[in-house]
Amino acid sequence: MEKAISLEKPMLRVSVAPHIQQKITTSHLMYNTLIALVPALLAGIYFFGFASLKLALICMATAVACEAGMQGVMGRKLTIKNGSSLVLGLLFALICSPELPWWTAVLGVAVAVILGRGIYGGLGNNPFNAVLVGWAVAKISFPAQMATWIMPEPLFGLEAGGYIEYPPLEVLRLDGVDALLDLPWRDLFIGNVPGTIGTVCVAAVLIGGIYLLARRIITWHIPVSFLASAWLFGLIFWLIDPEVYANPTVYLLSGWMALGAFFLATDKGTVPVTAPGMIIFGIGCGLLTMIIRYWGGFVDGVAFAILLMNALTPLLDRVRPRVYGRVKEVA
Amino acid sequence: MGLKTSFRGVSLPPQKVSNPAIENAPLPKRVVLPLGQSENRVCKPVVEVGEHVKTGQLIGQSDDFLVAPVHSSVSGTVTEIRPWSDLSGNKMPSVIVESDGNDSWLEEIRAHEDFSDKASAQLLPDVKAAGVVETGPPSMPLHAKFTKPEPSKEFQFLVGIPQSKPVDTVIINGIDAEPGMAAKGAVLTKYSSEIADGIRILQKLIGSAQMVLAVGSNGSVSSPLSGELAGLGVQVFQGKDKYPLGLNPILIKCVTGREIPLPDGTEQDIGVAVVDAVTLVHLVEAVRDLKPQVDKIVSVSGAGITAVKNYKVRLGTLVQDLAEQLAGLQGDPVKVIAGGAMTGVALLSTDIPVTKETDALIFQTAAEAKSFSPDACINCGLCVRHCPSRLLPNELSKYCEFSMFEEARDKYLLHCIECGICAYVCPEKRPMLHLLRYGKRELSLA
Repeated sequence: MEKAISLEKPMLRVSVAPHIQQKITTSHLMYNTLIALVPALLAGIYFFGFASLKLALICMATAVACEAGMQGVMGRKLTIKNGSSLVLGLLFALICSPELPWWTAVLGVAVAVILGRGIYGGLGNNPFNAVLVGWAVAKISFPAQMATWIMPEPLFGLEAGGYIEYPPLEVLRLDGVDALLDLPWRDLFIGNVPGTIGTVCVAAVLIGGIYLLARRIITWHIPVSFLASAWLFGLIFWLIDPEVYANPTVYLLSGWMALGAFFLATDKGTVPVTAPGMIIFGIGCGLLTMIIRYWGGFVDGVAFAILLMNALTPLLDRVRPRVYGRVKEVA
Repeated sequence: MGLKTSFRGVSLPPQKVSNPAIENAPLPKRVVLPLGQSENRVCKPVVEVGEHVKTGQLIGQSDDFLVAPVHSSVSGTVTEIRPWSDLSGNKMPSVIVESDGNDSWLEEIRAHEDFSDKASAQLLPDVKAAGVVETGPPSMPLHAKFTKPEPSKEFQFLVGIPQSKPVDTVIINGIDAEPGMAAKGAVLTKYSSEIADGIRILQKLIGSAQMVLAVGSNGSVSSPLSGELAGLGVQVFQGKDKYPLGLNPILIKCVTGREIPLPDGTEQDIGVAVVDAVTLVHLVEAVRDLKPQVDKIVSVSGAGITAVKNYKVRLGTLVQDLAEQLAGLQGDPVKVIAGGAMTGVALLSTDIPVTKETDALIFQTAAEAKSFSPDACINCGLCVRHCPSRLLPNELSKYCEFSMFEEARDKYLLHCIECGICAYVCPEKRPMLHLLRYGKRELSLA
């Protein structure tokens, strides 16, 4: 006789295939991104003092609080443990000046979490990079507060780089190419210049980026195509007129370029997922960044380049390799 | 011979396999023999309740070309003929035989028939009569695989699917595709003479087709076998350790460079036949020993059995009865899976018989059993990076989740080969494969 399912005996668990799962979870992706951002934050603390750490903590706390509040109001599952709001808060702090008033930071992060991400349904479902949405709102609403720069004062070891008093891209815009000729590239690379907390030290950002690539949290497509296209585009104009356009490597080492390529332009959900789509996305970001830097209204174009390319993401996801077994349709 | 093309996939955690020996599972006290492979393809029983049957005796047959005959796998008395639940919970008419414990075979079964001077026309009925079934997927009687396709297929030419071609390449799939499966590697080592004989039989059945033996990192071709294979003109394809190379659509692509035209095509449309290495052994027993298929080589793992073991199990043995007799099964399995860890079916109950399609059984304890979460997709793109069909599973899963099946079809949902990688890699642990299968099923009913 076939036994009826007896309730005394524990019943079998039934689930759909597959019956094994990779260990990688969303928390794994997010906390690895957080780890990758630590060198940039440490560099910010080293050059600008503990004001950087304070701002980072304010932003991260605001992000977590807003996320929890948002999910509470919407009656959704609380997901603050997965670390995505910590990453958002830290990234926001890293692209701000260490002198940013706390209320501007709180406002920017709140906009990022609530209007940039929450109302679309949370992580991965927002069309635009939430960090950059919050930053853009703050930048446009409070341009003066967002552009207060302090000189780097390394905590120990290095001497303060005193060649320029504004971030290198501002100097380029205001004073022309000649003003940067004396600036050692080494200062640009290790971040001994005025600027935002996490973007001045290209070396630290690169360490984080390489960590992400090595842990396979991101793929090479976007960072490589972003940086390569920006450099090649810059090279063309430098060759045309070096009096007007600076050496492309200077552009690569200054501003948000590295942080943008490795962390902002690889934000999950707002960028294409197919390999050709990602490469086109990266190239678009690189070209738009350089175009805005050369001729645009803003000094650094990375944020708006990425936001503009985010808008193209659904289209770029249509660019994909041929699927298996597709035969030409005979109409 | 190596890969003709690269493919996307994942490296699954390696599995331990206990030595390639294939043990005979103890004779069951009772067997439940389903009379068909699917709901609408069922045999008629040719025995009656109370009748005494011998091992290998025909108990069910059908005129339908796509139904394999059923034989008793033990000797004993037919106690009941009634519906019994299959893997997916469908009731299938089944013959239940209480064993008398003697395992006395029908006398007609002779060992080592000389098949070398038999013609193909004589061999095919033998294969059909023995009821050998290709494990699949798709599962089908083996003789159907080598018979000229039905003429109605030609009409598909008009709708853009290539005309059916005669089989020009036969791939013997010796790659254990998923964790939990180890039978093919074991068969290659233990039954090397059967493999060689099986290839001879296939050559007779199909004629001038190129034979390719595909082996993975799990199995190796022993030196006497490789010499014999060279003599038979068989190429050996050395696969690598990457899932889903062992699944037929990807294996065909890697060996021949051809793709099965989806959504409606089959491997026959591109002139390829894939035969499971384990099925090949059963084929040899059918033709050489004139022995109907009454057993199946099944890999067993999990719940204390860390290294996969292979057993020759009598068809119709209930999973429950088998589990009670197996040594090494510890803990309380909470999930029992028929098939591999990636595509297998979790059983509703352990009162399910081992059939010709069963290739593995996995017993998972509470610690091993995984579950899925209903959370939203975060569009991380991991599934896209690994999809061997080059689909966008993230997008398809959302279409299927919200019942937008037509959109999913336009985005090539029907090209999914159901390998399960998207659900394996998903960081949100969404039931990706389930959503895609659900969408396919809804479309098939539309």
